[in-house]
Amino acid sequence: MEFADTVNETANLKVLALSASISSNPIVGVRETIPTYRSLTLIYDARLVRGSVLAEELMRRARSDASYEPPPGRRFEFPVFYGGEHATDLEELAAIKNLSVDEVIGLHLAGEYRVYLIGFAPGFAYLGGLPEILHTPRLATPRQRIEAGAIGIGGRQSSINSVPGPSGWRFIGRTPYLLFNPLRARPFLLRAGDRIRFRRIDADEAAHLDERAGQSDFELVGTV
Amino acid sequence: MSFKVTKPGLATTVQDLGRPGYFHLGIPLSGAMDQIALRTANLLVGNDEGAAGLEIVFMGPELIFARDALIAITGGEIPPKLDGQPQPTWTALPVKAGQTLSFDFLKAGARAYLAIEGGIDVPLVLGSRSTYALGTLGGFQGRKLQAGDELQLGPAGNGGRAGRSLPDSLRPVLPKEIRLRALPGQFWERITEQAQAQFFEDTWKVAPEADRIGYRFRGGRPLDFVPREPPFGAGSDPSNIVDGCYSYGSIQIPGGTEPIVLHRDAVSGGGYFMPATVISADMDLIAQLQPHVPVRFERVDMETALAARATHRADLERIRSALA
Repeated sequence: MEFADTVNETANLKVLALSASISSNPIVGVRETIPTYRSLTLIYDARLVRGSVLAEELMRRARSDASYEPPPGRRFEFPVFYGGEHATDLEELAAIKNLSVDEVIGLHLAGEYRVYLIGFAPGFAYLGGLPEILHTPRLATPRQRIEAGAIGIGGRQSSINSVPGPSGWRFIGRTPYLLFNPLRARPFLLRAGDRIRFRRIDADEAAHLDERAGQSDFELVGTV
Repeated sequence: MSFKVTKPGLATTVQDLGRPGYFHLGIPLSGAMDQIALRTANLLVGNDEGAAGLEIVFMGPELIFARDALIAITGGEIPPKLDGQPQPTWTALPVKAGQTLSFDFLKAGARAYLAIEGGIDVPLVLGSRSTYALGTLGGFQGRKLQAGDELQLGPAGNGGRAGRSLPDSLRPVLPKEIRLRALPGQFWERITEQAQAQFFEDTWKVAPEADRIGYRFRGGRPLDFVPREPPFGAGSDPSNIVDGCYSYGSIQIPGGTEPIVLHRDAVSGGGYFMPATVISADMDLIAQLQPHVPVRFERVDMETALAARATHRADLERIRSALA
């Protein structure tokens, strides 16, 4: 179900609202809803519902203001160590932008980010809200391995890496908080619609938090 | 320890029927690429159809059993041997503690499935024992097997009977000419009418990049795009979209040149357009395609796709009845 063909906050809110509507008031046969920036993918059992019946129900809900409850985006603060081995592109980014490293960090900290989409990799968070001056094209050649927790910039978005893997984004730091840990009671920290601010920490605090955040009982407390 | 891996094979992984329901968190389906083959192997040894077994790709592993067990090998023809003696596929085989299971060279297809009475006992992660190697999760330590790995089996049931075999008439036969039926989808109109015709006319060949993530195809003519301005947020290549969800079976064609059919370990989303989708009934068949095999895509509509799915289900039902 397409709401727009561009990255657009209004469309994203409508996507999340329809997804929330289906979670709270299920449509028989719909098994899973997958929100993206501007579309909602549905996985459904075609034996139970399909075609025009499903399309009409979705259109009805999408049009009806009553079912339009944008889900409460929780607010979280993520500590980030902007530096060290995981800030692979921080200095080059500053040079490209003709800014100091501290200015780049300050700009990244100034943004309030919204989780537009969890996807691509387990728990990977695409973040909207990157200040325009930091918008930067992806690298021409992806790097082979970027660690979990790395904070990236790709085009108009920022991101928090959730599992180690290759990436063509530019990385400026790392958070000790693991977005995905299958051993935790709640394996995923974030969901689409959540809001994030970053807080700058130093290497010592990062090491300290690494220890705490690696525990299987780690929970992130947010505010609504 | 119930069996030990002495040679790992090429990419042997623990798989069950998969981990549906987590696409919205970035977790793909995983699970056996040839679902009917794994189900059948499990039925032969008296397991639940969804018990975890091994998916074996192109080249088999070598395993030493530490306990007696009933096993069955189905799927592509990678002939098994017990202590060097050839054994039949699609048949429940008794293995004694201390015996070695090895495999001969691949004869047909691409993936074999080994089910062992009791199922492979690795931890359930998000409801499944399937390996998702890209996410380092599930299966045996989140990865393909290595020499020296020691795996546990679950408690044996009592449904298995040595020598039980699936009748020949119910064994899948790899067609001489491979046709993958596909439904044009959401982004079909992004390529020209000429390109739409070409996609179904041309013969494509399975590329060497063919794995659990996706099957890439080469050899057809490049597809032309309908001219357009890229929308805000999408990349500049005409095949780019604003990142969307990739579903199981969807065909993405980066740059309009090489179609990739996304399979069970594909990432859940991204920025390439998906002009068509391979129907679910043909996804098991893809699991059995070797590199360089010629393939044509065949256009079908939704009614045909659903009828094919029903036929696929009926095939499984016949296998269940035969092994009940």
